[in-house]
Amino acid sequence: MIQLNDIIVKFGDFEALHNINVHVKEGEFFTFLGPSGCGKTTTLRTITGFIEPASGTVQMRGEDITHVPIEKRNIGIVFQSYALFPTMTVRDNIAFGLKIKKLSKADIERKVTDIARKVDLSDEQLAKAVSQLSGGQQQRVAIARALVTEPAIICMDEPLSNLDAKLRVQLRNELKKMQREFGITTIYVTHDQEEALTLSDRIAVFNKGYIEQIGTPNEVYNFSKTEFVANFIGDINRLEDGAVAGLKLDPAKHHFVRLERVHVNRTAAECPFLAEGVIESREYYGLYIKYYVRCAGQTIKVIEKNDGISIYEPGEIVTIGLSPDDIMSY
Amino acid sequence: MQSTLKRKNGPDWSMIYKVFGGALFVYLFLGFMVMPCLNTLTSIFTTKDAAGNTDPLAVIRFFFAGSMPSFVINSLKLAVCLVITVNVVGISIVLLTEYFDIKGAKILRLGYMTTLIYSGVALVTGYQFLYDKDGMLTTWLFQMFPMMNKQWFAGFSAVLFTMTFACTSNHALFLRNAIRGIDYNTVEAARNLGAKPFKVLFKVVMPTLLPTLFSLTVMTFITGLCAMSAPTLLGYNSINPEIVRLAGSSVADEAFPQARAALLSIILALFTIALLTVLNHYERKGHYLSVSKTKAKLVKQKIQNPVFNVLAHVYAYVLFLIYMTPVVMIVVFSFQNWPAIRAKSLNLGDWTLVNYFGTQDYSYTTSRGKQRLREGVISGVFSNSDTIGGIRLSFILSAIAAALACVIVVVAVNYIFKHRNKKRAVLVESCLLFPWLLPTILICYSFRTFFNNNVWYVLGQNMYYRENVRFLIIMAYTVVKLPFALRMVKAAFYAIDDELEDAARNLGAGPLVTFLRVKLPIVLPSVLAVFALNFNALFTEYDMSATFHSSYGKSYAMVIQSMTSEEGRDGYNMNGSGRRCASTVFIMLVSGLILYLVYGVGARDLGERLERRKKRRERWAKLTGRKSAGAARS
Repeated sequence: MIQLNDIIVKFGDFEALHNINVHVKEGEFFTFLGPSGCGKTTTLRTITGFIEPASGTVQMRGEDITHVPIEKRNIGIVFQSYALFPTMTVRDNIAFGLKIKKLSKADIERKVTDIARKVDLSDEQLAKAVSQLSGGQQQRVAIARALVTEPAIICMDEPLSNLDAKLRVQLRNELKKMQREFGITTIYVTHDQEEALTLSDRIAVFNKGYIEQIGTPNEVYNFSKTEFVANFIGDINRLEDGAVAGLKLDPAKHHFVRLERVHVNRTAAECPFLAEGVIESREYYGLYIKYYVRCAGQTIKVIEKNDGISIYEPGEIVTIGLSPDDIMSY
Repeated sequence: MQSTLKRKNGPDWSMIYKVFGGALFVYLFLGFMVMPCLNTLTSIFTTKDAAGNTDPLAVIRFFFAGSMPSFVINSLKLAVCLVITVNVVGISIVLLTEYFDIKGAKILRLGYMTTLIYSGVALVTGYQFLYDKDGMLTTWLFQMFPMMNKQWFAGFSAVLFTMTFACTSNHALFLRNAIRGIDYNTVEAARNLGAKPFKVLFKVVMPTLLPTLFSLTVMTFITGLCAMSAPTLLGYNSINPEIVRLAGSSVADEAFPQARAALLSIILALFTIALLTVLNHYERKGHYLSVSKTKAKLVKQKIQNPVFNVLAHVYAYVLFLIYMTPVVMIVVFSFQNWPAIRAKSLNLGDWTLVNYFGTQDYSYTTSRGKQRLREGVISGVFSNSDTIGGIRLSFILSAIAAALACVIVVVAVNYIFKHRNKKRAVLVESCLLFPWLLPTILICYSFRTFFNNNVWYVLGQNMYYRENVRFLIIMAYTVVKLPFALRMVKAAFYAIDDELEDAARNLGAGPLVTFLRVKLPIVLPSVLAVFALNFNALFTEYDMSATFHSSYGKSYAMVIQSMTSEEGRDGYNMNGSGRRCASTVFIMLVSGLILYLVYGVGARDLGERLERRKKRRERWAKLTGRKSAGAARS
């Protein structure tokens, strides 16, 4: 569907993207994930046509679109701020692209009504100014405006980042639902790993203008290819010298283990590696409890499901265990 | 982030626009800013002596040998005194209405803000009407204090008094905003730590107002230095009236008047540049910003000491009377008949609209004892051909200049934002800010002298000749208003999210469509506000009109000034004072309407407008007993 081949983007002397290669499949929900300044938005803007690469090609369905103007790429965009035109009503916002294409009034009306129904916007809301809508409704308008011109793909640049936590979770689910219903190929940019893991079919993890790993959420989380990916996605324990020696791991490498893969007071059958430690402190999250355990000369973070019975107190001596299969080494 | 992709089909119109626009901009900047001012500067050093030889230092020698320094000293004296009096009154009115708990603060605030709609030449002539030697208020005061000098309202004291109350508008706007921005938690914290109310005021509140106060002080100083209408009308020898006098003088009357006027205007420019540089430097150093994450709204402070509380109330209401009395009196007198106005005493049994509409005959007895009648010489503002002519001319010139300034600035700011952080954008911005550095009088004087010759780049015409002067006035108005328009419109452009432009382009809109349909509607309220404020200021402006004084360019302000001339028994300038009062009321209404449109209607976004429209429809439906469209749908 969309293919980036050896894309290099430069701003003056600064090389922002180094040899980016990505292949997004038809109908896929593909996420660019990474910290601020890693190049994910630059990659997206290269696809949408706002940035021309110094070298490399962008292909859509096999056709080279590297030098095709923005408006001729047939790509819909949902911006971080939604970029809804504040001086137009919701209806005019959605109809803007159709008017530019000089469609007949009847066609515009039909298409706007159609898409509004699909994204659950009422006639009354269509007559309102965008400032009169809630954050969630504004997002639906932005999606409707991007979809009404029937683009081949839709690109979303951190569309949930301006919302509060609760609304973000709610809209995340709606977004996924809509994407499934429309069946449209979607490229999504975010720095929020939870958002990426819950929404995506596949994720590309960016770091300093490079792609560190492309894979399904399970692959990037459980089988992180690089130390950066392991650290960036989810919380993780880095095993220090004492633990490395105790577990007889290769001292030349860095070793990591996820918090939920370390357990408290388990048997040797469940966890081949066992060691004694002391609970330093704990954080109560309701669904689970996070313990900080002093063990083998370092503090190990552990997450245990909150069953309401096995709750350990600070100062309590416990045994922590893990399986060698759960250790990621780089 | 700027796009690097260009459209590749069709003729490159954007390049054609750029070249044409660039050439026009260079023509306007060089032709109507640089050349006239440069001419003024060089005229100082190209004076010829009696033998016809150029003597570059003649004017400077003349300056130090003659009385010219006294004009500079007088202007400086006025500026320094004004800084003190305006700050005292300005800070007082803001503290009394915003910080201290004074009864009737809302009414007081309205009174103190009357200068927003009652200013300039209208205010000066209004004060003159009430306070001059046989003015109504002077007569009252004289009855109360028989020892007082009836001619107190002339010269320096009159100018200082008038300008003190005329120049507090900026305090009423900006200092008020600054004091409203104070985090009340800081006041509470100081009180909690044991500070007494006045200690809190001087140690916590005032320091946060200092940056605003500093800016206001500099602006007041410049206003004092460049004062024009008050010194001219009330008789005070400061720089600007002298420049205008010299500009109209000839070498037959006195030694090189034009070069002396040029020297005085350059001195004024140097002072202005120095002060603005200091202000800029100070503003760049930054302000005291509130570090509070949850700012608390300021709660008015009750003055605990009963004596101070009473004194504060008395002071507040005395100030209120000073602000309101001229306004009320002018409004009342505008409905009085000619004999009452002539005698400057109210005749509450006889009211008339003749100062606004219609005419009356004037009968008088000649020195030979014959009774004469002059038909229709007592006329109102809208029935007097001179006044109507002045209003019409000012309306047209101001509207064209205000619109021209907006168009130039909107196009330029769009360019500046497109090329942000590039040298060419900085250059364009600097060119537009250039007039800010120069006093208005220098620009106008330069225009008058430079274009009072056949200038090749304006089709070889003398622009100060006959009707051409109107074009010159439009250009001067436009040039003078560019910096203000630039600052306001630029602020509006900052509000445009970059992503809006990207979104429009993504949806297929070209640069022109994006500008016209996306960006312009967003900045339009601000642009219209700039247009309205500029129009308001120009409609009754005096300084420039006085410099360009010509029978073909007699603006409304000049007409108002002419109304102050003594009314003759034979019918000359009959009812000038009545029309002056009515003119002031008319100006107040126009200014009030414009401020309402700008800050009331213009500040509403689309959502508010739709909401109001909906309510109006519902009210209409209720009145007519029909269902509104919205109600019917739901």
